[in-house]
Amino acid sequence: MQMVESLKEIWDYREMLKSLVRQNLRTRYKGSVLGFLWNFVNPLLQLAVYTIVFSTVLRINIENFYIFLFVGLVPWIFFLGSVQGGTTSIVNSGNLVKKIYFPRAILPIAVVISSLVNMFFSFIVVFIILIVSGIGISISVLIYLPLVILAELLMAIGIALIVSCLNVYLRDLEHILEIVLMGWFYFTPIIYAVEMIPIKYLKIFCLNPMFAVITSFKDILYYKSVPYILPLLITILIGGLLIIFGLTLFNILQKNFAEEL
Amino acid sequence: MNDAIIVNQVSKKFKVHHDKSSTLKEKILFQNRNSHEDRWVLNNINLNIKKGECIGLIGENGSGKSTLLKLMTRIIYPSSGSIEIGGKVSSLLELGAGFHPDMSGLENIYTNASIFGLSRKEIDERIQEIIAFSELEDFIDNPVRTYSSGMYMRLAFSVAINVEADILLVDEILAVGDANFQKKCFEKMKKLKRNKNTIVIVSHDLASLQKICDKVIWIQDGEIKKIGEARKICDEYMLFMGQKEGKKNLSNDIETNRDKEISGESKDENISNNNRWGNKKVEITEVKILDANNFKKNSFETGEKIILEMFYKVNENINNPIIGVQIFTSELINCFGTHTQIDNIDVELKKTGKIRFIIEESRLINGRYFVDVAITDEYGVPCDYHSKLYEIVMYSNLNDIGIYRPKHIWEVK
Repeated sequence: MQMVESLKEIWDYREMLKSLVRQNLRTRYKGSVLGFLWNFVNPLLQLAVYTIVFSTVLRINIENFYIFLFVGLVPWIFFLGSVQGGTTSIVNSGNLVKKIYFPRAILPIAVVISSLVNMFFSFIVVFIILIVSGIGISISVLIYLPLVILAELLMAIGIALIVSCLNVYLRDLEHILEIVLMGWFYFTPIIYAVEMIPIKYLKIFCLNPMFAVITSFKDILYYKSVPYILPLLITILIGGLLIIFGLTLFNILQKNFAEEL
Repeated sequence: MNDAIIVNQVSKKFKVHHDKSSTLKEKILFQNRNSHEDRWVLNNINLNIKKGECIGLIGENGSGKSTLLKLMTRIIYPSSGSIEIGGKVSSLLELGAGFHPDMSGLENIYTNASIFGLSRKEIDERIQEIIAFSELEDFIDNPVRTYSSGMYMRLAFSVAINVEADILLVDEILAVGDANFQKKCFEKMKKLKRNKNTIVIVSHDLASLQKICDKVIWIQDGEIKKIGEARKICDEYMLFMGQKEGKKNLSNDIETNRDKEISGESKDENISNNNRWGNKKVEITEVKILDANNFKKNSFETGEKIILEMFYKVNENINNPIIGVQIFTSELINCFGTHTQIDNIDVELKKTGKIRFIIEESRLINGRYFVDVAITDEYGVPCDYHSKLYEIVMYSNLNDIGIYRPKHIWEVK
């Protein structure tokens, strides 16, 4: 019952959510020369580094490796930004939390939505590269993309809710998560293909909810094939459960935010 | 529902950490050492505020009134008990929270109003009024970082007050902007009150509270001491605070007397600042402010006897010295001044001694006053002039205005 109420309240404050997202996007690169272009430059530079390392030095034998990598890297950057930004979202807005009432869950959610919008900008680049390189886009497969994005969005919101409220009480979390996310990155098939994972470990790798998300992005954009639906549905379910758990935890912990900050 | 706010047996404690640890290492290592004390700020508060009421919260610093207001806004939560709120709340606890310096005034209005829970449509409806209220029409597209602090506060206040929530919670911010803007804020609050919005104000400005509030709640040491009609409670509170200050000074005096007996020395005479000047041929070594019973204190009820006792020391003989006294309000308006020559008193000073200036009936109304004392030679050249070095606080349960209350009677025929 309380769940419904807090969801309704967040909905009532959707204008605040919009304002915060707008503010995040507009002021993030304020003062830098490239400004908004950093949204494109940053993933492209990361892409350049990984491509040089993995196709020149480590020589992973995948055709059009940079595209293979890019379609997995962009959604990962969204996830990474959501979790890392979400962790500090409450602590960084301490000023606001101590002075005005509003549903606190808006703060981590705004970070996730901002990252999502950034991902959409990056996708413009992805689509341009797909077309220019000759791989092209399959419209009939593309209709599955919203489902994959939904799965990742739910996961990101759920985790952001949990880590944001925990970080208020335990500031170490921020640093612990840096390590966890680095490990998570390498145990998710972003820079390598699923086929390269030894069969005996594959089941363990599949337990990672991001596994289904990243492989689906690759299926849709790189392989132009229909993704496996069942793992995606399971990920959506996990994401939903994480949100329910996250909101419950958040509602308990948020009562002392103003005193802990 | 007829109640806007129901406070039901609310208590609130804060943890006072002696050594706060919030990293994992500290939490594990110092599990037992993580000592803290519980400080109870509010005890068992029960309160019903009806829709459309305007309530003032008063009390000393640290009495818990701001904590109660924060509980009502749901920024913090009670340790026990519950608070029910019927309606949308807008709080003016701290203005401008959430303003982004790089965004324009207009953008910040939209952001800030959305934090108060308004929808886009509701903000659009109010935007003209908010801008007009802030008087910042010409600057509204400039980034907020270029604003002066006054402009910043005006913008923030305009947003918060134009949210027109069912319940408005205000903490000590009636002092925003210049006199005109304050007046406008005040009018706006009155208008909200007429529109049956509920208002709760925390303030030390008792005069303003009496003008706008129906009821005042006096909070003392985390408990409700009195609730009642605004004027009555404010008067009782003022009287209480005045007496309390009197008592404090009395006990201070006993302390200092005891110290003196031990050291056998009078206090340091070197007061070297802008408040004292003169050729030091005669020095005023000490000034005491006493009541009718010769007890040292500096808060007096209107009508009470006040005695100024000046101790002097003659360093060089002068002819016909003159001793003078002046009283100023805190705004430095001269209320009264006289000296021995005006009063035709011949003064002969010994080597050391004391002079008593006795005000039989002090007729000054509520407020703080400064006292000047001086000794000059016959031509008015100051030997020792003490300017605004002494302070008197007057209190009264009457609400006279002006500076002084002449002895008067009314005859109505």
